[in-house]
Amino acid sequence: MDMNNRITRRESLQKLLTISGTVALSAFSGWPLTRLASVRAETPPRRFVVEALGQTAGYSVKELTRETFNAAGGMTRFVSKGDVVAIKPNISWARRPDLAATTNPLVLEGVIELCYEAGAKKVRIVDNTINDARRCFAITGAGMVAKNTNADLVLPRSSLMKQMKINGHRLDVWPVFVPLVEADKLINLPVAKHHGLTTLTLGIKNWIGGVGGRRHALHQDIHQSIVDLAQFFKPTVTLIDATRIMIKHGPSGGSPSDLAVKNTLILSDDPVAADALATGLFGYSPEDLDFIRLGKKWGLGTDDLQQLHHKKVIV
Amino acid sequence: MKAQHLVWIRRISQGFFLLLFLFLLIESRLPQDAFVDYSLVFSSELDLKINYPVRFFFQLDPLVWLSSLVSGHQLIKGFWWALGLLIMTLFLGRIFCGFICPLGTIHHVVGWFKPALKGEHMVRANEKTPSQRVKYFLLITVLVGAVIGLNVAGLMDPISLLFRSLALAVFPAVAGGLQELFEVMAKSDLKALNLVGHGGEVVAATLFGFGFKAYRTAWFIGLIFLLILFLNRIRPRFWCRVLCPLGALLGICSRFSILRLEKDQERCTDCKLCTKTCQGAASPRPGQDWESAECLVCFNCFSSCPEHALSFHLTWSSPKLNKGPDMGRRAVLAGLLAGISLPLLGRLDGQVHKVADPRLIRPPGSLPEKDFLTLCQRCGQCMKVCPANVINPTLTEAGMAGFWTPHLIMTQGYCEYTCTLCGNVCPTGAIREFSVKEKIEGPIKIGSVYIDRGRCLPWSGNGPCIVCEEHCPTSPKAIYFHKEMVTGPDGKRQSVQLPYVDLKTCVGCGICEYKCPVKGRPAIRTISAGESRSLENQILL
Repeated sequence: MDMNNRITRRESLQKLLTISGTVALSAFSGWPLTRLASVRAETPPRRFVVEALGQTAGYSVKELTRETFNAAGGMTRFVSKGDVVAIKPNISWARRPDLAATTNPLVLEGVIELCYEAGAKKVRIVDNTINDARRCFAITGAGMVAKNTNADLVLPRSSLMKQMKINGHRLDVWPVFVPLVEADKLINLPVAKHHGLTTLTLGIKNWIGGVGGRRHALHQDIHQSIVDLAQFFKPTVTLIDATRIMIKHGPSGGSPSDLAVKNTLILSDDPVAADALATGLFGYSPEDLDFIRLGKKWGLGTDDLQQLHHKKVIV
Repeated sequence: MKAQHLVWIRRISQGFFLLLFLFLLIESRLPQDAFVDYSLVFSSELDLKINYPVRFFFQLDPLVWLSSLVSGHQLIKGFWWALGLLIMTLFLGRIFCGFICPLGTIHHVVGWFKPALKGEHMVRANEKTPSQRVKYFLLITVLVGAVIGLNVAGLMDPISLLFRSLALAVFPAVAGGLQELFEVMAKSDLKALNLVGHGGEVVAATLFGFGFKAYRTAWFIGLIFLLILFLNRIRPRFWCRVLCPLGALLGICSRFSILRLEKDQERCTDCKLCTKTCQGAASPRPGQDWESAECLVCFNCFSSCPEHALSFHLTWSSPKLNKGPDMGRRAVLAGLLAGISLPLLGRLDGQVHKVADPRLIRPPGSLPEKDFLTLCQRCGQCMKVCPANVINPTLTEAGMAGFWTPHLIMTQGYCEYTCTLCGNVCPTGAIREFSVKEKIEGPIKIGSVYIDRGRCLPWSGNGPCIVCEEHCPTSPKAIYFHKEMVTGPDGKRQSVQLPYVDLKTCVGCGICEYKCPVKGRPAIRTISAGESRSLENQILL
């Protein structure tokens, strides 16, 4: 903090409130238990998937992020003026960014900047972390991103968890982290990693971080549970961070030797397609993963990339 | 200087030090600034350290210094403050009690606010009594016990007692109540209530942090605190006069004080206002022998005397020494006896010489048990600072000798893999300062885990689960799988990943136990065996 400029009491109070993102949240009071189906049900007829690769030595990750969105028609296609945008990165582990257990902070920063350029009123970084949230914020670099971009960091806590109707095939009612459902637009920003149970953790699996309660019990039927959650949250768009991927000892890793550098970002408005495309980076095909199969079965999206606008970007 | 001015200076000083104490107590937590510099984040394992001198009051406390010196043979960090205070006491008497001690200030305020005793009753309550010898007994017990190897100073030391009571009982209780209130409001459909609920939570969190904290035996810690506050209704500053071992230590040193109460018998009209306002029961009245060892240097007598018969002066001249502290031979002998008995009895429950309790999981960086007990003040600093709320006071785990020392309860939290705060705040080095590197690359191990195959979901055929492996922070992971066939409850054979523990890599952080979906008694549990601080309590060769 700049100590030379004295801040007024009003400013400091405001700062305090924005850090925990409650100013706008207070407007949220009685969210209906069953969500209005019409709000997000209308899907564009033909979806897209963008695969971006940073090839030149020393390319800028933020530039790659920008080009990825540009190839999809720019951020303005997803974020309108005055929107409150919730970004769900994976910052669950208190691990350094170079261990790739969490979303690359440069990608996060790039996306937030694009949101603000597109006219977003407020951008919130929302994740119900596994390790202590403040330590996660500090160590993953998300805190620094929030400071640089003036985004809100929402501290997960019991008052922001609310029992909601998931209406899934496996999950009925579950405590949900409300800033995610309260936002106008929702951007899923996972990091691509190996996972001991689901083989890979990509976009669909990232929604485990959007709920609270006894979420570790979800592992007993993990594939259907995460597809239920992905259908509940319905992100506006999914951007998979595969700048570096964890190929073993996921999802927490802990050693640079678990990693492979891919310099890739995958953007799609189809949650299944984004995950399906990312499986290739690990040498799998979409059929290998049960949650992709289930996502297809229940109409969350498609893994047939031929049905989508498939674009490639090279920076 | 006018007496009234002195009293006001005292009050300002008391207020300042009480606020400083509260501030440092509140700041004994994970730094609230989540906006850490990027370059640091990218370059190395980040040590999140506390920026405030949260150990200050413990460093200022001569009893903490002296007991850890004679017991653990350690000169604690910053002991110069305590030494300075002792030297100041040699000249000015128990000025710490009157001007600085935050617990003394709280007693002072409680006694002053609606006093229970009036007029003649108050005068009588403020006459010196033999019960004031109890504090010397306690001091001698503590110091003799410390020499023999059990440091229980922290149980009675006013700084440790106050920190423990506020951090583990009063603050969490108030915070929990507020949190419940705010959550009810936040759930309300009325927008105004909703706003107050969310806003109130954020504002309260600046003092208390978010969420609910829990500390084992906190109710008992809180009860004792309330009890010693209540004692002020029997006699003002009962604790300081009768029980405080630090007060006793400073009282002994005040024998040489050159700040002396001078009495003018001629002017005295025997109105007893001085005795009525005396905080220490130090016999201020002309005609009585002033007890420098009992005097809390509050200047009340000086200020209350309408006849100016009393005054404090700095005098080098005769008498060379003040009246000695009235310890009483019985208090000294009993103190010696108790001091010798406590450490010897304390070792009989076997923690030190026989077998370590598997539940006695000490914080990372803790010294070997014997050394640990010579230094730990049971102040609760490590418990307050722990972001995972895993460090708790012991009840029986560490035996009688280790009552209220810190241990980890993994069903309540877990040790954050790269957190070093408990070693960062421990005032005496019972938990030494350690680095993130020592936690990751060794040698520090807290304990080890084992799997209860009867309760484990995949092992018992009750379904797939990988939660323990997923959360294991070590690299390579201390929990690994073999894919095998098990029989489910329906008799069907199913392929599951069965978890195993690699004891060589396990550091005992306990996140597997904390996150295990098998509630009540988790299917993977942490024990102290394998802790790096002990040569004996080991599993592997």
